[in-house]
Amino acid sequence: MVAYLVRRLFMVLFVGVGITFVTFVIAQVIPIDPVVAALGENAREEQIREFRERYGLDRPILVQYGIYLRRLLHLDLGRSLRTGCPVAEDLREFFPATLELSLAAFFVAVALGLPAGILAALRQNRLPDVLVRFFALLLGSTPVFFLAILLLDVFHRQLGLLPGPGRLDPYLIPPPRVTGLVTLDALLARDLAAFWDALHHLLLPAFVLGSASAALLARMTRAAMLEVLSQDYVRTARAKGLAEGQVVLRHALKNAALPILTLLGGLLGGLLSGAVLTETIFSWPGFGRYVTQSATSLDFPAVMGVTLLVGVVYSLLNLLVDLLYALLDPRIRYA
Amino acid sequence: MWRWLWTALLLAGIALAQDRTQVLVYGGDWTDLITLDPQVVYEFSGVMIADNMYETLVRFEGNDLATLRPGLAESWKVERGTTDWILTFNLRRGSRFSSGREVTAKDVVFSFERALERKGPGSFLFTDIAQLKPGATKALDPYTLEVRIPKSASPQSFLSILTFTIGGVVDSEEVQKNAKGGDLGKDWLTNNSAGSGPYRLVRWDRGNQVFLEANLHARVKPKIPRVVLRYIQEPAVLRTALESGEIDIAEGLTPEGLKAIAANPRFKVVRAETLRLQYLGMNMKAGSPFANAKLREAMRYAVNQDELIQGLLQGNAIKIQTFIPKGLLGYNPATSYKYDPERARKLLAEAGYPQGLEFELLVSTGICGGRVPCPDVAAKLQADMAKAGFRARIRAIANAEVLATYRAQNHQVVLAGWSPDFPDPDGNATPWADYGARSLAWRNSYNDEVAAKLARQAALEADPQKRKALYKVLTEKVLREGPYVVLYQPAQPIGLSAKVEGFLKNPMMSAPLWQVSKQP
Repeated sequence: MVAYLVRRLFMVLFVGVGITFVTFVIAQVIPIDPVVAALGENAREEQIREFRERYGLDRPILVQYGIYLRRLLHLDLGRSLRTGCPVAEDLREFFPATLELSLAAFFVAVALGLPAGILAALRQNRLPDVLVRFFALLLGSTPVFFLAILLLDVFHRQLGLLPGPGRLDPYLIPPPRVTGLVTLDALLARDLAAFWDALHHLLLPAFVLGSASAALLARMTRAAMLEVLSQDYVRTARAKGLAEGQVVLRHALKNAALPILTLLGGLLGGLLSGAVLTETIFSWPGFGRYVTQSATSLDFPAVMGVTLLVGVVYSLLNLLVDLLYALLDPRIRYA
Repeated sequence: MWRWLWTALLLAGIALAQDRTQVLVYGGDWTDLITLDPQVVYEFSGVMIADNMYETLVRFEGNDLATLRPGLAESWKVERGTTDWILTFNLRRGSRFSSGREVTAKDVVFSFERALERKGPGSFLFTDIAQLKPGATKALDPYTLEVRIPKSASPQSFLSILTFTIGGVVDSEEVQKNAKGGDLGKDWLTNNSAGSGPYRLVRWDRGNQVFLEANLHARVKPKIPRVVLRYIQEPAVLRTALESGEIDIAEGLTPEGLKAIAANPRFKVVRAETLRLQYLGMNMKAGSPFANAKLREAMRYAVNQDELIQGLLQGNAIKIQTFIPKGLLGYNPATSYKYDPERARKLLAEAGYPQGLEFELLVSTGICGGRVPCPDVAAKLQADMAKAGFRARIRAIANAEVLATYRAQNHQVVLAGWSPDFPDPDGNATPWADYGARSLAWRNSYNDEVAAKLARQAALEADPQKRKALYKVLTEKVLREGPYVVLYQPAQPIGLSAKVEGFLKNPMMSAPLWQVSKQP
């Protein structure tokens, strides 16, 4: 097991280096000059030359890549061409907001999708199933920006029930930044008003972001459960006189869990890699907006840093899912 | 019991309502903000915020960018030395930094030297335009400062540059205390402040909000003690936030959003003037059809400015044809060219193109001045030009690619924008008229020694009236012979709650927020 884990962690490293190489090649292939993009229309020739020298962009490409890898060994992701800050610092600044939103959205997806999928499977082709399938189709196919603007308009502007964009009411003093997760920071500062407000601010974006995942999860859970519920051992469990709850949760769900778990890993990875539209509409200072701005201004050190982080997160989540397989299914053993 | 509860709730509500007048919430797309260091900041939002935290020796007030007013300096004089211009500033007593320390000439020297050393994107204003050298700024005593710049530089331009944030004075002791390894406080001043302006920076949550609080020691006290600049990128959400009362000022609304806001008595619209010009640049390089003066003239008759401004821009722009924008000394209101397709066709024929001319119009896929997509502006131009015999092939590409093509002189005609780097006519005259400056005139291969000489002469002229006369000659010459068709000078409308009073944004995009008040 330990040998397997070490091998997989080495693979993560390998994937990381591969990602930097691919991103680096893409940066070289694109015919646009990132320096011109960074300095704008008024930039003078001397400024452009100085900028190239400062960021080492005047050196041969392989030398640039070598320098990048050497720095990477010291966990230095270079400096962003756009913000001028170390990329690692930028990521520390923007990732917690995405983490907070993603975890909340993941919670929404699981809390809505899983029970809805189970219910639909248990009541196949009856009203609950039809309703679940209808809403799954609706939420899964509604464009995020439309849903976000619609919900903001109704619940914030017209009804005044939920707060507007951002992470905290602008009239509140934000808690000191410790983790970057406002809810957690508010709790650490024992500022209940800020905690409550931050939680309120999370509701709409988490629902918008989580709803499509919930729809997908509901459909997947339904399909997996339907397959398991028709198996002999479920019939046997019922014939033994086990309570329905026990049959569903211990016998059916546990066996349907493998495909669901795979999906959950992918969903969380997708959420953590930043949700550009949700973050833009809800003015959420996360990763998605950072990477879009970096990409549109051809800020390649930033794009490489983000891609590397997302790649590593995905690889680690895959590893976690694989390890959980072994926990759920005793037939799976890693040597 | 219930009565008590209601009274308590009512009192809490009143307290909250009163509290709300003490905070100004300003929403907009501040994503260009990368630093708040006055000697480095060069982005629109950064300049606007830094301007509220740092004072400069001299300043402009409101929309008047032609009259210098006292700032940290209560008076100043410009003398002609043997080799240099000598500028002497008498500092006002009693100006204090947020640390409580008094502002002295030593701090000004430190700030100017820091600007030269830090080499930010705006440092060329000091090094190239003003030709300021290290050691040329001296404190004669705590309240007297002397700055020497070479005779080849313009003292008028230098004074104008000093109104910009690069001339913002920082607390030298505070900055040195927080400097790391001789970095002159580079990292620290990025997201901390050490100025004598009405506000100080409390906190900047990047991508989320910027908090400013009144500088208790400042000479100028703000009417609202706390300002929150809230990042809102999406125009529809900006409008929702303004209408729900979450924000007081909304910058970046679409023309439709502004129309709706203006029709609602709870809101109002303030129109900020800009110094930006949207123009067409025609490449005059040898072999290009646009090297022919008649063809360029035909192009000027083929553009329907009035319809462009009234239709697409919904009136949010000024009609202008010369290259010094309204608001700066030397602005020339001449609009000699009217849309006249017949005349354009005749000129085209005279230029040797009786069948008309097909050319490539290079356009950014981004947003042009007045918040209109550039491809929409290009489509309007294409339709109007077609009637005059010009067949424009629109090539819409990423802005960075447009700039790279334009800089390499590889365009035929480009739709571009320009804002001067500092509020002085020379900020436009040299780039637009002097080929040797390797800016717009160079990019369009406009090599006219007379125009370049006029630009240099006007830059150095100290008498405003004579300077104005020189710019009149230059702007008219470039209008008739140059490679440009100036399309419009966009305005920037901003939506406000009707409770907000005293808000202004000047053409250099500075907004003195300390003058703003808010009714309950």
